[in-house]
Amino acid sequence: MSEHAVEVNNLTKVFRTGIGNQYVVAVDNLSFRVEAGEVYGLIGPNGSGKSTTMKVVLGLMAASKGEAKVFGLDSGDIRARSEIGFLPENPYFYKHLTGAETLKFYGKLCGIRGKKLKARVAELLEIVGLEDAARRRLGGYSKGMLQRIGLAQSLVQNPRLVILDEPTAGVDPVGSREIRDLILRLKEEGYTVFLCSHLLEQVQEVCDRVGIIFEGRMRREGKLEELIKIEKQTAMTLENASPELLAKIEGLVASEEGAAIVETGHPRTTLERLFIQIAERRSKEKASAEKKEEAS
Amino acid sequence: MSDEAITPRAPGKKIPIFSVTRVWTIAMSTVTQLVRMKTFYFLLAFALLLLVVGNVSFASSPAQALSTLKKVSFGAIDLFAWLFAIVATALLIPRDIEDRTLYTILSKPVRRGEYLLGKLAGVLVVIGVSLAVMFVICSIMIIWKQVGYMADEQAGGGRKEDIAASLALIAKNGFRIELAAAAYASFLKAAVVAAVTILLSTFASSSLFTIIISILVFLVGHAHSMATDYWLRVTDNSMAVLMVLKIFKIVIPNFQLFSFSEGIVTGAALAPGVLWQMTWLTAGYLVVFIFISLIAFVDKEF
Ligand SMILES: Nc1ncnc2c1ncn2[C@@H]1O[C@H](COP(=O)(O)OP(=O)(O)O)[C@@H](O)[C@H]1O
Ligand SMILES: [Mg+2]
Repeated sequence: MSEHAVEVNNLTKVFRTGIGNQYVVAVDNLSFRVEAGEVYGLIGPNGSGKSTTMKVVLGLMAASKGEAKVFGLDSGDIRARSEIGFLPENPYFYKHLTGAETLKFYGKLCGIRGKKLKARVAELLEIVGLEDAARRRLGGYSKGMLQRIGLAQSLVQNPRLVILDEPTAGVDPVGSREIRDLILRLKEEGYTVFLCSHLLEQVQEVCDRVGIIFEGRMRREGKLEELIKIEKQTAMTLENASPELLAKIEGLVASEEGAAIVETGHPRTTLERLFIQIAERRSKEKASAEKKEEAS
Repeated sequence: MSDEAITPRAPGKKIPIFSVTRVWTIAMSTVTQLVRMKTFYFLLAFALLLLVVGNVSFASSPAQALSTLKKVSFGAIDLFAWLFAIVATALLIPRDIEDRTLYTILSKPVRRGEYLLGKLAGVLVVIGVSLAVMFVICSIMIIWKQVGYMADEQAGGGRKEDIAASLALIAKNGFRIELAAAAYASFLKAAVVAAVTILLSTFASSSLFTIIISILVFLVGHAHSMATDYWLRVTDNSMAVLMVLKIFKIVIPNFQLFSFSEGIVTGAALAPGVLWQMTWLTAGYLVVFIFISLIAFVDKEF
């Protein structure tokens, strides 16, 4: 029997709001599966039911109808909890603890202690790149650092599945890049990742499959490339192409029945890419300046 | 992508049904939190208060001065214990919910009951340590004053019998080891109040509301027999009233039972066995309140 990492069947979640018979259907007959070893993204605007779905999968909430399973275990089962690492949306951890103390606390909750715990904490701090901030209290962490310590916290017991609620929301482009690189690293190490986001473009490069959720219902699901590619069109980016070459290509296209050039021009970098380039260049400059100082 | 190269991770190990170490981990993190909130500065304030009361005294006799010192010390100890129990408990749990820290804790293999017990234990450890330190501070203060008064008395001269009588009076109002039982009574009371507050905070979502209701319960609990007597007198004693009264008697702990500590401070003897009785009563209250809290908390959605 092949076991799915997450299996959600006909999940419905209704919230009573206020007094009387008012209610909100946050999740409406939702079904999907996350296979072991893949990165699955649940994408949809704010209020579409992503966080609610995750909370039901985690057993923090009960389903109104339907069921959620994690590696074949009912999500309310405490045993399922040791298989899952969770990073909530905009998490806050105890501000009075340092980064290392935070990881120790969560490690102890998972029954790890002694030398093993110490080694695991050091390893996680290295993975998320917070060794230098390990002895600082979280009260002084930036948003990006909090997300990373949160990610480290979720991995502490070496779970099989990591659930990330809006991991890149509110983090600047460089920090968000780092988090996405971490997610890719997790995938390489064999973790199953189930994440959600309202920012399509931020997660599209890390997800193997996405489900698009809107008003609590699954609207589209599948491999990302398949969902977004425009079947009939092909893009081609050339470097150092002479005007003659371009004329030749145009001629070739014109000679083919039914084919046409839709758009030509210079590709633009995205603002985000530009920003990351600038930041990377700056940090390289700094590093080389420091080296010079050391040398002199 | 090299999908084939990736092997899914192996299943995790089994976890115990109930774990004292998990409770203890949460308790210790609560202690750390309270310590880093600089709670223990309160002890400095307490020492200062005793220094002032001990040295700026308007009492007419040494015996009276000692008695005042004791009343103030143990009054402060008692006040600290129950007020701290209410405020700390009412602030900690709702804050965990608001900050979503609770999500990360409960998404680890931690049972909700373990979380509640851990929070309670943490608050009680802090109160216990504080009370122990306060008790030591006030004992030192009382003994120091007592020794000073006795020396003055002996140096003052006079008839032998008078001196002996004064010394006896001072000793009677001075330090007695039974005073520790008074501090212990304050601790037990604080434990019950903390459990009541935990119960309230599993229902209510606002800290302020929890604090106010807890203080109300505490005050009403001090007038337990008065309230029930009054009720019986002004109503027709129908079945319904008696039922409500029974519920009231169970739900509102009888804090009057703990007031034997006041007698100890003013010099009364400690009835044998009373400490055991009170300990068992407290344990009973804790079990009941934690159990009801758990029923409310287990299905709570955040
Ligand atoms: N505890 C709650 N009580 C009432 N309504 C809620 C609660 N949690 C979420 N909702 C509602 O459910 C819907 C989905 O919310 P959510 O799952 O947080 O969306 P998303 O994470 O996709 O932004 C929203 O309309 C929200 O207002
Ligand atoms: Mg959300």
